[in-house]
Amino acid sequence: MNALRALLRKELASLFGSPTAYLTLMLVALVTALIFFDHLRLYNQILFVYASSNMGGFDTDTIPDYVNLWDTVFFPVMETLGLTLIGAVPLLTMRAFAEERARGTDELLVTTSLSPGQIVVAKFAVAFLFVTAMMAVSFVYPASAIERGGLGAEHLAAVFLGLTLHGIGVASIGLACSAFTSSQLVAAVSGWAVAFVLWDFSWLQPFVGESAARTLELLSLHPRYGSFSEGIVALDNVAYFGALALVSMALARFSFDLRRVGS
Amino acid sequence: MRELAWIGCVAILFGLLSFYATDHLGVFGAVNLAGGGLALVLALAIAARLMRRVAGPHARGVIARGLLGIAVALGLGVACERAAHWSELRTDWTFERRYELSPALAELLHEVPGLRILHFYDPADPRVRRTKLLIDELVRASGAQSVAYDVQSVPDEAERYGVNSSNTIVLQLGDDYEVVERPLEGAIYEAVYRLRKVKSGVIGLLRGEGEGDPERETAQGFGGLAAALATEGYELRSLVTLSLREVPAEIDAILAISPQRQIGERAEDALRRFLARGGALIALLEPGVDSGLETLLGEWGISAPDELVIDPAAGEGLGHEPEGVCPLAYNYETHAITRGLDRNRMTFFCGVRPFDLRKPEVDDELTAVVLSSPRAWRTSDRSRLTRPAPEPEGVERGYQAIAASGRYRRDGVETRIFAVGDSDFASNRYLRSLYNLDLIMNGVHWALARDPQIALRPKIRDTVQFPLPVQNSLELLYGVGLLVPELLLLAGGTLWLRQRAA
Amino acid sequence: MADASAGTRTARGIEVVAERLTRRFGPHVAVDSLDLVIPANTTFGLLGPNGAGKTTFIRMVTGFLLPSSGRVRVGGLSPVEQRRAVCERTGFVMETSRLYPELRVEGFLRFAGGARGLAGKRLAEAVERAMARFGLEAVARRVIGNLSKGYQQRVSLAQAFLHDPPLLIVDEPTGGLDPVQQDEVQTLLAGLAGTRTVLLCTHDLGEARRLSTRAAVLRSGRLVAEGRTGDLLGGADPLALFRPSEARA
Repeated sequence: MNALRALLRKELASLFGSPTAYLTLMLVALVTALIFFDHLRLYNQILFVYASSNMGGFDTDTIPDYVNLWDTVFFPVMETLGLTLIGAVPLLTMRAFAEERARGTDELLVTTSLSPGQIVVAKFAVAFLFVTAMMAVSFVYPASAIERGGLGAEHLAAVFLGLTLHGIGVASIGLACSAFTSSQLVAAVSGWAVAFVLWDFSWLQPFVGESAARTLELLSLHPRYGSFSEGIVALDNVAYFGALALVSMALARFSFDLRRVGS
Repeated sequence: MRELAWIGCVAILFGLLSFYATDHLGVFGAVNLAGGGLALVLALAIAARLMRRVAGPHARGVIARGLLGIAVALGLGVACERAAHWSELRTDWTFERRYELSPALAELLHEVPGLRILHFYDPADPRVRRTKLLIDELVRASGAQSVAYDVQSVPDEAERYGVNSSNTIVLQLGDDYEVVERPLEGAIYEAVYRLRKVKSGVIGLLRGEGEGDPERETAQGFGGLAAALATEGYELRSLVTLSLREVPAEIDAILAISPQRQIGERAEDALRRFLARGGALIALLEPGVDSGLETLLGEWGISAPDELVIDPAAGEGLGHEPEGVCPLAYNYETHAITRGLDRNRMTFFCGVRPFDLRKPEVDDELTAVVLSSPRAWRTSDRSRLTRPAPEPEGVERGYQAIAASGRYRRDGVETRIFAVGDSDFASNRYLRSLYNLDLIMNGVHWALARDPQIALRPKIRDTVQFPLPVQNSLELLYGVGLLVPELLLLAGGTLWLRQRAA
Repeated sequence: MADASAGTRTARGIEVVAERLTRRFGPHVAVDSLDLVIPANTTFGLLGPNGAGKTTFIRMVTGFLLPSSGRVRVGGLSPVEQRRAVCERTGFVMETSRLYPELRVEGFLRFAGGARGLAGKRLAEAVERAMARFGLEAVARRVIGNLSKGYQQRVSLAQAFLHDPPLLIVDEPTGGLDPVQQDEVQTLLAGLAGTRTVLLCTHDLGEARRLSTRAAVLRSGRLVAEGRTGDLLGGADPLALFRPSEARA
């Protein structure tokens, strides 16, 4: 446990001691804030057009159902953020294992008391922590808007949870890809490729039967995190992301065995 | 092998990007995906062949253990996910608990076994995903069968049910069906109620003296109330007061919606006899009118002085009425009519006449079911309805009864009366506001002794449609939205400069 | 710089024995049926040209790579089955590029000690001792990436010493260093002689002569010569051992 703790501290120091981490956090927070503000401004404009005295005011049925804070602002922002995470997170995770292999410091790690399993757990834990921090800074602005609007924080908490789990899922994929290469570029590209494959299998639907399509939908990232954006926190969706992390960890652990065997 | 894997990843990535960019798998995307998949399969095959060449028992054992670990992780992950799925554990964290079915709807669904839910939608419709989640909850609660149709691909089915727009639900029970064009929980509730075809009773509507018109759909009309009564199984019959000699035997209750003139002695006597033989009365009054109902109610202990309730806690009315004339009530006595209503479930009135209650007989039960705030007071100055005026000095404040109920057991029959000092709360303009609909409908159910039908109804309108003013949004953007990234950049840059110097 | 010869003089080195040790990478045989005994408490030089198999052999000793066939024993333990126990007895000094350039010296040493199971007071004392021994006190708060190569190599030595291992594996310790830095590092290593087993992997013959008492020469994965360093490298043409066409038993 001491060894694991030492590695966790080292990983945190490496990550948060690097300006890249702050740059990534800053970019994600800024992009979220600007996209959110843009949607909010558009929503207000639409609402005031419908609610003008010519159209009947707020308390009549002239405003379409889909013109509401969630459908017009939050949902599109969260969809965009979900895709942003697929783009951004593999850039974070690409160096986790690949850089160690490229530098040769993986040999240093493996020749200590640390087991490959502990190395994998530490890398994954720190990456998950970073993703959570990234979501937290991104949510400061939307949360403030919701608080001012008096809409209740629980729905936003569900959205935050969903996006964080989604980010953790993408991070798991990125880390597993990083474990099999010494090139950060290959790690990032393969992370993107796998994440996009798992995002949504709608592109396969014309070629497979109904039961296969249903099974593929169960494996997809997008529907799983999508229900959180609706305010539904379902245990099976939480378990999906846990399973994704577990399998990714097992794959990353296996990469150490492959390294020992070599070819 | 590595080159093939690289080619495979890049090809798959660009194949998918082309699909998501265009929403269509064209030649470019298909070729990239197929080629990329093939390259990855080849890379894996080469890797497997290389692995086979690895000699030594240790290597094979290590590889086998590693693969077993992956298989165990996969098995465990799938098992946990399936177990969680079958447990159906989920919570609704929406502001208005949008996906938790209201107890009223959940109970109602149990009374309609064999329900089918047909969902017609256009896949591009943004409302579809929310409706799908709602349908999942309905199926979970009732065991109903659900079928989804792309509305473009089943024109015959759509025409059969009269479906004209996307995101329409058809609720089918046997040969009967109800079409719900805006499938929010409230509309589904009412549709299921209609499918039940329950007969709740016959209500006689007083007409002829300027009462509220149940056929008018304008803001001042009462078409909404009539529709809600019909939905919940009541048959409405007009009773013209001018020719009313005797209330017909089949009438279970009389509904009087603020007559503007005297209903006449003959009608009054007819009502008197109706109540004496155990009939029910639902009276919606207005200040400034002496219709004869006030006298009748007074005989039953519910006197309605011609005064106006001013409740300073209410503020300005929704239609910019002067402050206090439109009470927002959140104080309720414990009574079947107000079951479930509390400080968070308010009712809204405009221009209210107060009640004073005094039991005619000892065993009578009189209750002020809805009360104003304790800061309210009364005035006979009806000009305050349209013109703001300062509060007079030394006015007597206290809870004012806005709605009252009376239950009387006389000579082996039971008479019930539900009276409200305002009729606007049940007009089209305000019926769906807050919990007004629940108050009037539960009052009717109680008056007709149909207590099992008393419920808090799910709402029809989505409540999250008010704006966040742009100025507020800008303040937040500067104060928080931009400040956080700025602080992060400052922290990162400072750290970098320090590291360079260290 | 503190006197590197200070510290325990008790001989506690362990023996390393390779028996028909072989490692293949696809069709290429990196180490071919190697039989070698590295006696305890000796500084043993492992010599050979680039691609001779020295690093591959070291990686099999630490358990980082699995042998394709044959076996190796480190103090009687198998790096294949008892990798962690072997690592607890081994310190590994690598090339300077294999450090974490973003960490500070003290932080890195604390991590390295913690990763070897040290904690609390023991860790603090070990780090302090190592910094004193290798003259790192003045640069304790410096970022490793900003240090000179000489200091980085001292950091690499220090991290290998934290847990006072009986076997020290040193791979190309003076690669890329200037002559003064080379001399400093070699002096440090010389101070360890006799107290533990040192496996020195180098293709610098002068370094091998200065530091090792016994040596072995690998070429194309095979052992071509083994014996006392003076005997192996004392002839008229010591480079003959490294050329492909010549071999001496």
